[in-house]
Amino acid sequence: MINLLKMDLTRFLTNKIMYVFLLVFIAFQMFGIFMLKQYEQPVEAGEILIRRMNESEFIQMMLAQTPSWILMYIAVFSVYFYMSEYNSGFYKNYISMNNARRNSVLSKILILGIFTLFMFIVMLIADLIGRSLFFQQAAIGDSGYFVKLLIGQFLLHWAFAIVVLCAVMMIKQAIPSIVIGIILSLNVFGMVAGALESLVSDTNLSAYLLVNTIVDIKDFDQINDVVHVVSVAIIFLFVFSIIAVRYKRKEDLR
Amino acid sequence: MSNAIIEVKQLSKQFKSNVAVNNVNFNIRKGDIFGLIGPNGAGKSTLLKMIGGLIYPSSGEIHLFDHTMRENHPYFERMGLLIEEAGIFPHYSAYKNLDLIAISYGIKNRKKHIEQLLELVGLDKSNKTKVKNYSMGMKQRLGIAMALIGSPDVLILDEPINGLDPQGISEIRQLILELNKTGITLIISSHILEELSKVATTYAILHHGKIIEIISKEELLLQCEDRIELEVDDPKMTVLILENHLGIQRYKVIDDHTIYVYETDIETQQIIQSLAENKIFVHSIAKHKQSLEQYFLERTGSSGGADD
Repeated sequence: MINLLKMDLTRFLTNKIMYVFLLVFIAFQMFGIFMLKQYEQPVEAGEILIRRMNESEFIQMMLAQTPSWILMYIAVFSVYFYMSEYNSGFYKNYISMNNARRNSVLSKILILGIFTLFMFIVMLIADLIGRSLFFQQAAIGDSGYFVKLLIGQFLLHWAFAIVVLCAVMMIKQAIPSIVIGIILSLNVFGMVAGALESLVSDTNLSAYLLVNTIVDIKDFDQINDVVHVVSVAIIFLFVFSIIAVRYKRKEDLR
Repeated sequence: MSNAIIEVKQLSKQFKSNVAVNNVNFNIRKGDIFGLIGPNGAGKSTLLKMIGGLIYPSSGEIHLFDHTMRENHPYFERMGLLIEEAGIFPHYSAYKNLDLIAISYGIKNRKKHIEQLLELVGLDKSNKTKVKNYSMGMKQRLGIAMALIGSPDVLILDEPINGLDPQGISEIRQLILELNKTGITLIISSHILEELSKVATTYAILHHGKIIEIISKEELLLQCEDRIELEVDDPKMTVLILENHLGIQRYKVIDDHTIYVYETDIETQQIIQSLAENKIFVHSIAKHKQSLEQYFLERTGSSGGADD
């Protein structure tokens, strides 16, 4: 397991495309902040001007806007990282090792976690630079709230990466998998499920869908919201990790 | 305990309605070069993938090193695979590809190990060229080096000479023989019997997913060797005459009437005359010549088909 993780980590860290991804994301994030400055309006819910927002409020505001760019980047990278190995047939060189099927999936899951972490770090850097440049504002706000928000959103985004990994493992084709990833990023399923649910009942179970939870603005000072975010993240993380591992163990490899 | 390190028993694989491998049985002994021969679409790759642990059998058993294989069994680790194309990242150099695999195997002193392998397969260790720019032969040699990373006991090579020029074929052949000398057991598939015949010690002919014949190198060469086929009334007496009167030493009594004589420089007239002089009735006598290709085609009854 450790050796496969080391191998994937080497591939991940020496992969130029990953750095290009991060650079492009920084550029677009800063461009997005610049455009917000150009067309600044109070955010509907709290009527807060962006220039007055702290980083926690700013992140929540950005993540609540679909399509979620960060989710799209994670989806595309997840598909790329898995398919580059699958298409090359590189796995054939190590898959005969004991438990390699299980370990290779767990290793990919951890690598996607690292990529998600990098995305969050890059997002924070881009936000702070962009907000400083265009809004002369770089306040982070309450650090406890900020940390809870970051951990919660990180887990949700990581779980999303695993959902996409699961999809690409089963679909086995890059383009259809990216399309599925983008559809998920657009929260099409969440919106459809929410609309259908509102037609047939008064419940709000669709709020517990992964992308719905990511795009909903939560108050991380409220324990209910924290529990909601963490439980959704952990359930999706575990369920889809188990599905991915089980699928790989049974898969006939080409 | 048998001396077979790989035993395949009633192995079958079905993809939906297509039976790719059908009730296959064979044993491979340590040190063998086992040639799996069959036309395209015969099921060679599917069979090798099952032995290598890439795909699961629909039924039957595989025993590796006297242990029954089930999914993710540690004994699969002792196999090196080069199935279909080499599994390599095209945008990395040969060294980088090997380094990644060496990391996954937890090999210490990776640099030395990789350099030794590159030298063994005849690739330049200082070459930084991306693998995508390699020739087919270089890719195949790199694929073999990748399969050798974990110091396997068994090496599975699926069509290793496919698409190679004559020089490339010769280099791969030499490499196979060198690897075998180091004690590695090899399983090699090909649809070219002529090429396999230069390296393999045992052959299995696979057709439509079934093994139709398993034959040793000696038997195969004997089958395809030029010979005089002789049909007589009294083989015992005939053998005495062949030995004593004609000085023939290389012959084989096939059944109660048939004798194969492998010394074909002798004239058939001379044999007939000697036998007639000793009152032995000759029913028929004919010179027989069969190429390896003819032998293979005779058994498979076809020359092609769909790809594996």
